[in-house]
Amino acid sequence: MKVLIIEDEKELSKSIVEYLSEENYLCEVASTHKEAMKKIGIFNYDCILLDITLPDGNGLKLLEELTNENKQDGVIIISAKNSIDDKIKGLQLGADDYLTKPFHLSELTARIFSLIRRKQFNNANKIKQDELEIDLLAKTVVVNSNPVALTKKEFDLLIYFIGNKNRVLSKSTLAEHLSGDFADMLDNHDFVYAHVKNLKKKLSEAGCEPYLKTVYGTGYKWKG
Amino acid sequence: MKNLLQKSLRQLTIFAFVVFALSVPSYFLLVDWIWLKELDENNELIAQRIENEFNDQHISSEKIAESIKFWNEIQPLSNIQHINQPLQKAERYTIRKKNRYTSRNMGNRFRDTNKRWPSDIPYKDFDGIDRFRVLKTNIRINDRNYKLTVETNVEETEETVAYIAMVTLLFFLILVVGFWILNRRLSKSLWHPFQDTLQKLKLFQLSSQQVIKFQKTDTLEFAELNATLDKLLQHSIATFKSQREFTENASHELQTPLAVLKSKLDILLQSNDLTERQYHIAEEMNKALTRGSRINKNLLLLAKIENNQFDSTGFIRFDTLLLLSIDGLQEYFKEKKLDVCFDIQPEVAVKGNSGLTEVLINNLLINAIRHTSEGGIIKIVLSNSDFKIINSGKNALDQNLLFKRFSKISADSSGNGLGLSIVQEICKLHQWQVAYNFENGMHIFLVVFRSK
Repeated sequence: MKVLIIEDEKELSKSIVEYLSEENYLCEVASTHKEAMKKIGIFNYDCILLDITLPDGNGLKLLEELTNENKQDGVIIISAKNSIDDKIKGLQLGADDYLTKPFHLSELTARIFSLIRRKQFNNANKIKQDELEIDLLAKTVVVNSNPVALTKKEFDLLIYFIGNKNRVLSKSTLAEHLSGDFADMLDNHDFVYAHVKNLKKKLSEAGCEPYLKTVYGTGYKWKG
Repeated sequence: MKNLLQKSLRQLTIFAFVVFALSVPSYFLLVDWIWLKELDENNELIAQRIENEFNDQHISSEKIAESIKFWNEIQPLSNIQHINQPLQKAERYTIRKKNRYTSRNMGNRFRDTNKRWPSDIPYKDFDGIDRFRVLKTNIRINDRNYKLTVETNVEETEETVAYIAMVTLLFFLILVVGFWILNRRLSKSLWHPFQDTLQKLKLFQLSSQQVIKFQKTDTLEFAELNATLDKLLQHSIATFKSQREFTENASHELQTPLAVLKSKLDILLQSNDLTERQYHIAEEMNKALTRGSRINKNLLLLAKIENNQFDSTGFIRFDTLLLLSIDGLQEYFKEKKLDVCFDIQPEVAVKGNSGLTEVLINNLLINAIRHTSEGGIIKIVLSNSDFKIINSGKNALDQNLLFKRFSKISADSSGNGLGLSIVQEICKLHQWQVAYNFENGMHIFLVVFRSK
């Protein structure tokens, strides 16, 4: 799967490329508006990561051009601007998601994963891993044809793990992901522990292999 | 406090009073001087006439003596006496003596009847002392020397002073009333540009960044004042603006390096030869980094609110936003075993920005969750006019520090000291009032939407 990273901060794009490459993503980098336009004109991408503050033009303009050319590439805006107006404008112009800097690469990966799944498997968006079957649209989990009742948070965590297969996810990263909009305050790390424990328990009770491992004492890794 | 014109009116009045008071003796001396001069002239004329008239008779010396005797009897105000040596020079002087005619008659009349003294007759007439201007001069009748004394009644000193004083007082009163009326009119017209400037300054708010347009005036002082104020305000506004922009730009610029750091840490976590110790170091770094970026985000939000980058003119459903927030925080309530009760009125529509209102609700709710000890109570009350969050606590908090940036009141380190400042700024933007109270072991945070 091909991902275009339009970002003028070299170190950041380097990190993104490094992180994504391990997950079989083919990454390309453009650091200017001009370069990005050239690449978009030649290739099709599954996902475009777009920084809207580029040295030679507003990223939102690029988004407009993309829509005008009727490109179907999924777009995730990554921006240092946490302005609601920009968010709304970006989404209206056809972006699929909006991520504010600074973000965790695991968060970005999970979003890319979800976006590509959404774009490519419109109607039957199901993830299968041996006995485990997840329906992303219906938000249901089945193990050996037996449904597993997960809470919203547990389901959310599961998708996050699957989107970051074989990666070490630290407790604090998960806490930030879970608290979402309320991130401002309550990083209760025990809270993450409780949710992960429940998820593990429910899956193993349904007969699922222990894919979710604990690493370094407090981190987690989904083996896939 | 008195206004400027009243103050000057006082000074003017005192000055005018002194001038008028001084004018009374001056006028009196002047009038008296004119008076006496005229009387001297008059006496001179009378003496001349008497001398001429006697000489014109061409009568004998014996007859003259008789006539003079008779004259002296019927003319009490003049007296002719024979002298051997002529007077060296004429004498003019003023005497006070009983006026035989007026005083005696009046005095007898009222003494006999015991009637009350009529108010229209000055009391001094009773003792009958009057002032007389006397001329003693030498006349010659039939070549014999005679001494002639002529007396003319002069107006009393006291009377003259009283009349002058009365007239002066009248003019003084006219002057004061005139000053007062003029003052009132002046303060309306002359001071109008000043009042206008003052009014505009009172309404001026630095944070609104709006320049004041002063009224044009043709008064030099006011024009100068306005020009100076204008310069001062422009400068303040520019300084304030650049300061706010600095905060916004600084926070903004910090986001990118923070993002790089965060991504590098994520990559570090993935390396295969990472030891558990290194993992924990990376995790601690991540936690600190997260806090740093939250502070930065909050500062950015504060700067944006202050820079008026949010539209707060639309109507939003406060109750819906509140229920959403409560729903999102449900697990935190449960986790801390908090006893949460609501009294939320449906369909509460307020004018405001929905994103910011969400932040306000979240910050207040999160605050309550964070600072309520396990098993405590949280009450959430929403009505058409206000929004209240009440939570149990031990001690009252310091109101002055509560809404201040980076002031940490509790020992809990998880907050960054910006949450309530943001609440306050959001309220300010929406023109809501936020207040804190501590009653019966309960912290009460109150947001009033509209003043009653």
